[in-house]
Parts: sequence; C-alpha cells; structure tokens
Amino acid sequence: MSASITRGRLLSRSAKGGAALLVAGSAVGRLAGVAAAAPLPTTDLAYVRLLVGVELLASDFYTQAVAASNANPAVTWYLKRALLNENDHYASVSGILTGAGQTPAVAGDIDFSYPAGSFDSQASILKLALRLEELSLGAYLGALAALQSPAIMGGPARIAASEAQHVAYFTSALGGKTFKSSFPDALTIDQVSDALDAYTA
Amino acid sequence: MRFSRFISLLVLVVSCGLLAAGGALARSGRTTAGITVFAGSSMTTVLPQIDPGNTYSFGSSTTLGTQIKNGTPADVLMSANTTVPASLYAAGVVEKPVNFTRNTLAVVVPKSNPAGITSIYDLTKPGVKIDEAASTVPVGSYTVQVLNQMGINAAIQANVVSKETSDANVVAKVALGQVDAGFVYLSDYVIDPTQLTLIKVPAWAQPKITYALAIVTRSPNQAAAQAFINKVLSPAGQAIFVKDGFLPLTAPVPTITKVAPAHAAPGTTVTLTGTNLTGTTSVTIQGVPAKFKVVSATKLTFVVPAKAKTGTITVTNPSGTAKSASFTVG
Repeated sequence: MSASITRGRLLSRSAKGGAALLVAGSAVGRLAGVAAAAPLPTTDLAYVRLLVGVELLASDFYTQAVAASNANPAVTWYLKRALLNENDHYASVSGILTGAGQTPAVAGDIDFSYPAGSFDSQASILKLALRLEELSLGAYLGALAALQSPAIMGGPARIAASEAQHVAYFTSALGGKTFKSSFPDALTIDQVSDALDAYTA
Repeated sequence: MRFSRFISLLVLVVSCGLLAAGGALARSGRTTAGITVFAGSSMTTVLPQIDPGNTYSFGSSTTLGTQIKNGTPADVLMSANTTVPASLYAAGVVEKPVNFTRNTLAVVVPKSNPAGITSIYDLTKPGVKIDEAASTVPVGSYTVQVLNQMGINAAIQANVVSKETSDANVVAKVALGQVDAGFVYLSDYVIDPTQLTLIKVPAWAQPKITYALAIVTRSPNQAAAQAFINKVLSPAGQAIFVKDGFLPLTAPVPTITKVAPAHAAPGTTVTLTGTNLTGTTSVTIQGVPAKFKVVSATKLTFVVPAKAKTGTITVTNPSGTAKSASFTVG
C-alpha cells in the first residue's frame, strides 16, 4: 500500500545528509544555507511544503490540547514538550524553504479543524495525538524515501526519530505496546496530503 | 436560478471566440441608473445579489483591466487578484485599490466522475482529460502556482486538453462532461453544485487568492461608485460573498486596551477589553496558555492558569498577535 524505507537506507541517508549537521550550529541555519547554495528540485520543495503543513497541524493540535487543560500534569508535560518539538521541527523544515528563496506557510495560513470532542478528555487528546504522530512519522519516512537532494535529508531524518519518540509515548500512554513494527510505514506524498486534508476546514 | 446559471455557462462556452478576440463578455444589458462595473467572471452570480441596479460586464480580470486602461467606460473594476488593480493604480487609471474578498482554488469533476477521480493526485494519471484556464487570467495563474507548489505541474500539464479564458468556461465544460476535471474557484462549485463533484486542493498548497476593487479615476459617477463599494464591504454584502463560497476578508490583528483586574491569582477570571477579538485562537500569560471565552469583538474573559507567572498577556488570531503590559500573577 505504501512505500517503505529500509533501515539501512535511512541510516545511509542520515549519514550522508546529516553528518555536517552534527558538527556545529543549528539545523535550521545550516539547512537554509544548503538550500541557498544548490537549487532544490521542484519535487523536493513540494515535499518540504507538505512537511511544513504537517508541522503546522501538529503545533496547532498541541496548542489546543494544552489550552484545553483536560490532561493530568504528567500527560500535559508531554503535550507541552511535543509542542516545543513540533515548533522546532517547523523552524527546521520552513528554513529549507526560506533558504531556497520560498515563503513557507505560517500559522494562520491554514485553518485546521478536528473531530467533535477531540479535546474533551485526556483519552480523546491522547488518541488524536497518536493518530497525528503516526501521520507525521509516515510523512517524514516517506519524504526520506522520495527526496532527491541528500543535502536536505539530515533534518527530516532527525525529525523522524523525534516523531517516533512521540508515537512511542502516546502508544504507551494509551496502554499499547511501545515497540511495534520493525519498519514503520512510510506514506506517499498523496497519502499524507489527503490525510492532512481531513484536518483542514 | 441554478438552471439559468447553467444555461448562462453554456452561453459562455459558445462565446469563447468573442473572449479570445479580446472583448469582455457583457452579461447584462441593463440600462438602469446604476453604475458600470467590470468584474471577474467568478462574481457573475454574487454581484447582482448585492446591487441588481448596476450594469455588469464579467470576464477575465486581466482583459477587463486592459480595456479600462484603453479607455473603455467603466466606474468600478473588481478583480480576482490584487495585481491588476495595483498596476492600474500605479498607472493612474484607478483610485487606490481595496481588498474585498478571498477565494480558494478547487478541482471539480462531473457528477458521473467517469475518470474515478478522488484526489488531486489522480489528475496525474495518464489519460485523464483536464481543463484549466490560461495562465494569463487569475484563475489560471493560481492553478499553475498550486501545481508548482505541489511539484506536479509537468504531470498535470501533460493531461490538459483545453485552456479557457475564464473559470466559468471551465465549469461549463466539466458540467457538460467534455473533460474529466477542471481547476476553478471554490465559489464556482458552491453556487451550483448540482452538476459537479468537488475535489479539494490541499490547504498546504493553496495560494493566497485575494480580490481587490478600485474606482476608475475618470469615472463621472464617483459618489455612486463609492456607495456601491460600501455595499460590497458592508456586513450584508460580505455575507452574500460568504454564502456563495467566497472567504471572508482576513480578520484584522487584535488589540488590547484594558485588562481587569490588573493582577490576579491563578484560577481568577479576568476580563480583557480590546478590538478584533472574535477570531481569537489563543490567550497566553508569559507563554502559558489560558482557557478563554470570547464574549464579543471587544471583550473576552480568561482564567489565570495554575502555572502562570507574571508577564505579558498575548492574544492571537489568524492575522497576528497583541501583547499587553505586564500582568501580575499572585
């Protein structure tokens, strides 16, 4: 159903694209510099725009989840931490676009909407958080399988790892098994786009 | 109403040759005392509802702008973008433009949907027949913009079988089943969904589609033109646009004029007074989100969160943020 990426390929790409990132400085600044130095293919820019949309959805969701104040202190801590992570992810992927001379979408450009009752209880928040994190993880794994420019793969690879941590926490918080598939599904760009659309007004 | 619009769309298709020759399609032959309005064809249905007493000429905003520049008599230009009025303003042909509504790009397919299209990505499949407007008119320009944003322009263009001079022509060809899909405005679908099925263009790839209008500088009917513009911008006029599938103008940035009480303990309900508060999406105290309730456009209440610390109150809506002076917690 969906394209998948092997662990070896992921590590290989992470090593190629991400090695420089580990040296020094922020991921955002460096990715922007890379994008400015070498024009990115149109398809890569399209994928990055989609990832910007994914991060805006995640940030919007966690902002509302925290504001709802329906989770216990421990869960709220993770919701706030996830929000912080997603805001950092947004800065990273939007930085790729900025570096390429493009204007990334910002909060307010997209009106998100959620199923009724999404923020009414801790359980409903956790369930939707898990669904959105699985979407994010699939989006980044799909991006890593589809991006053509090795120079911009480092950020998405590290973000995918972060999203996987979120998936693990929310799975556990809902009473599920933290470890699931050895190879989580990667989603294609159209699968992610259609899934994202379900949360837009 | 819907049937008559469908017939008018058929007429538009037949009239393609006239449009190609550069003539704007004069939809109405009214000779009332109203003004003459040149407007993009996506407003064919909505404007007569706002003021039936005017004479309207609907067509490509680009073509209409050129005609006004060349001296064709008109009182108001209403364009499906901001660039045409801006260029005419720079040339001294129109007064300062004013934004008056927004729109969204959409894909429509015939009700029968013979190509089985359920996603915009299905349009890249070989053999799908697509209709779009030429890139010289606003809706065509927006279409190219979206497809480039999505990285699928080349694949889509390989399936384009016809390019039209307006969104209305695209709607008509899709409704007649002459093509499998077409790119139009959401408002084109909303005002007559009986013949069409809507396929959403992803929000992450949507362009900012803002409409602008301007009074023609040499118009002898300046006062009447301004009165019409006031009708368009009035709550009643804006409501008609929204009913027909257009988007409301972006809410103005909020402001904060007063917070009472000026200091409060966690759990206390505080009243915040300001402007443009209706669309508030968040209220935070020094970054800590607070539960809030919008009372009116000028008033909202919030509860000081348990972990709030003394600092700035920030109110956010989709257009921006407002920050207060320091609020003392405790």
